[in-house]
Amino acid sequence: MRRRIVGSVVAIACAAWLPGGASRPSQAGGAASAARPATIGEAYTYAPGAFTPEYQVPEPGSYSLPVIQRIHDHPLIDAIRGETTLFSLKAGRMAVVAFVYMSCAEATGCPFSLSVLHRLDAVLAADPSLGSRVTLLTISFDPGRDTPRRMADLRRLHDPKSDWSFTTPSGEAALTPLLADFDQSAAKLRYPDGRWSGLFRHVLKVFLLDERNEVRNVYSVGFLHPELVLADLRTLTLAANR
Amino acid sequence: MRRRISLRSRLAALVVLSSLSTAAVADETCLSPYTPKIIGPEDYVYVWTLGIEGLGDGSDKLVTIGANPTKENYGKVISSVSVGGRHEAHHADFNDDRRFFWAGGLDDSMIYLFDIGSDPAKPKLTKTITSFVKDSGGVVGPHTFYALPGRLLITGLSNDKDHGGKTGIVEYNNAGEYIRTLWMPEKAAYGYDLRIQPRLNRMLTSSFTGWNNYMRDFGEMLADPEAMKHFGNTMVVWDAHAREPIQILEVPGAPLEVRWALQPTHNYAFTSTALTSKIWLIERKDDGTFAAEAVGDIGDPKKTPLPVDISLSVDDRFLFVDTFLDGMVRVYDVSNPRRPKLVHEQKIGSQLNMVSETWGGEHVYFTSSLLSKWDKKGDENEQFLKAYGWNGKKLSPLFSVDFVKEKLGRAHLIRFGQDQFYKNQVAQSEPTTSGRVAALAR
Repeated sequence: MRRRIVGSVVAIACAAWLPGGASRPSQAGGAASAARPATIGEAYTYAPGAFTPEYQVPEPGSYSLPVIQRIHDHPLIDAIRGETTLFSLKAGRMAVVAFVYMSCAEATGCPFSLSVLHRLDAVLAADPSLGSRVTLLTISFDPGRDTPRRMADLRRLHDPKSDWSFTTPSGEAALTPLLADFDQSAAKLRYPDGRWSGLFRHVLKVFLLDERNEVRNVYSVGFLHPELVLADLRTLTLAANR
Repeated sequence: MRRRISLRSRLAALVVLSSLSTAAVADETCLSPYTPKIIGPEDYVYVWTLGIEGLGDGSDKLVTIGANPTKENYGKVISSVSVGGRHEAHHADFNDDRRFFWAGGLDDSMIYLFDIGSDPAKPKLTKTITSFVKDSGGVVGPHTFYALPGRLLITGLSNDKDHGGKTGIVEYNNAGEYIRTLWMPEKAAYGYDLRIQPRLNRMLTSSFTGWNNYMRDFGEMLADPEAMKHFGNTMVVWDAHAREPIQILEVPGAPLEVRWALQPTHNYAFTSTALTSKIWLIERKDDGTFAAEAVGDIGDPKKTPLPVDISLSVDDRFLFVDTFLDGMVRVYDVSNPRRPKLVHEQKIGSQLNMVSETWGGEHVYFTSSLLSKWDKKGDENEQFLKAYGWNGKKLSPLFSVDFVKEKLGRAHLIRFGQDQFYKNQVAQSEPTTSGRVAALAR
């Protein structure tokens, strides 16, 4: 089966941004829903204009996904389960891990990755044979503001149908080694006088982990698409079954 | 009703975001789409430089030059990091968050990782990969460094069995650990540049020549008919995600740099051929396959001006083409990509190789060195970085750094840096930032 992707990334991002932002907790304030400056990070991470993926997803199993790096266990606070760890949530399954912060409104940033996981959630819930082997993990890199309570709010918005965890580190001490392990950059964007703008400079990355906690792919705009992630999950499943 | 208004305001905001994304910023237009672009004018120009025996310390080095006209170091050498020895420094590029700079040596296949992010005025050498040939199973000559999320694709130019042109593409993760090797297809075995258009999931590779030729004296090689047979004549279209070659295109005469069009409806790329002096258009057809077509001559092909680097403006209008032997830059209006129109030509120096324009297109930088054994001899062996302003019609000189006088070496690859970006500062040059960002910070 070869599926042709003809969809607008902007449209996808918009789909996630609108419902998420409309019900966003009050702490985020009106600014979270305003036109965030495109000067910061991701609007300039990519070529001008919106990416509109126009390609056929490769057939699952027709290609290989080599190991990129190995991830270690890290403490997390889950919106539902409380204190836990990455590996406990993963429970030996494949995982799609996305780092976000809730105040992000970059069209091609965190809202976009949340929208992709939202779609993956629906597909995995409808496909128990694959869904039982995969977990989705959203991790905030803004633990100061994205408290477990706020992550629970975010969870309620997405109302996951598969196993999708919304987590945050306990603080900066837990966050720093976590980001370093994943090689996920996220830096506070500041005014020249040193005040934090409330925003982060970060490169959008979503990680595909196999059952052995090895990174098998890293997605960003252009390749972060549900059909492609599903093809990769099925490719890993086929390889594991051989 | 309240929700509808909220949705509309958010949609409007999204439109604002989209329109802002084309605002003028500074960066070269050929970077991987996965490398962040910097905002506002460039503060630094980094030049990956080949050492010259008896000149200064004689070593390959990363040279940092001031590019902010409001600062005292404008047009001056700020810092220089030598790697020790000469390795045929050639190409280099940033990783996926732009904080590290990977630079290669074509002779002994050394790879150097510089930390740019900690202090963009003074890059530091933090890691050296000495095992590229062994890691890759025999690929020689790391050329293009192309960032993907979490990793880099590195094209080779040669191999360790016969030092000919058969080669491959090697993947490393951001930590400098080997991932895998993809050998070029048998019928298009040579390699050179690599560029991806994510929207199409297509990767294009071009082809040059092997170690036996690029490390040989240029005059001797030209006089050797057998040597001249060993240049690439192909480009390969790949499924970028699967890393599978899907089409081989005949592009005779050593197609070098690949530049995808940047506008969202433009499904084509350009390259130039070194030996046949032509601009080639690589375009996707209606059936999804690609076609290669020579669309124009560069100078007089009979005189073999030797086109080397090209740079495409962000609006896909201007294609800058450097030719090494006559030291000329030619600017083509490629608004109609099938009919490039020469709109400007200018001699930059006695020899000319790389060209890098800023993202906004106001500044264009040039360097002089092609390869240590191909550069001209004697007085014609000028070595420089030259900066120009570009107004859409002509190039106006801004500053020049003489790399011989400064005892640096042969100036090759050019990239840009900026204090604001690396200090993670909000761009004050953007009028829309302060109010909204301040509101969020409260």
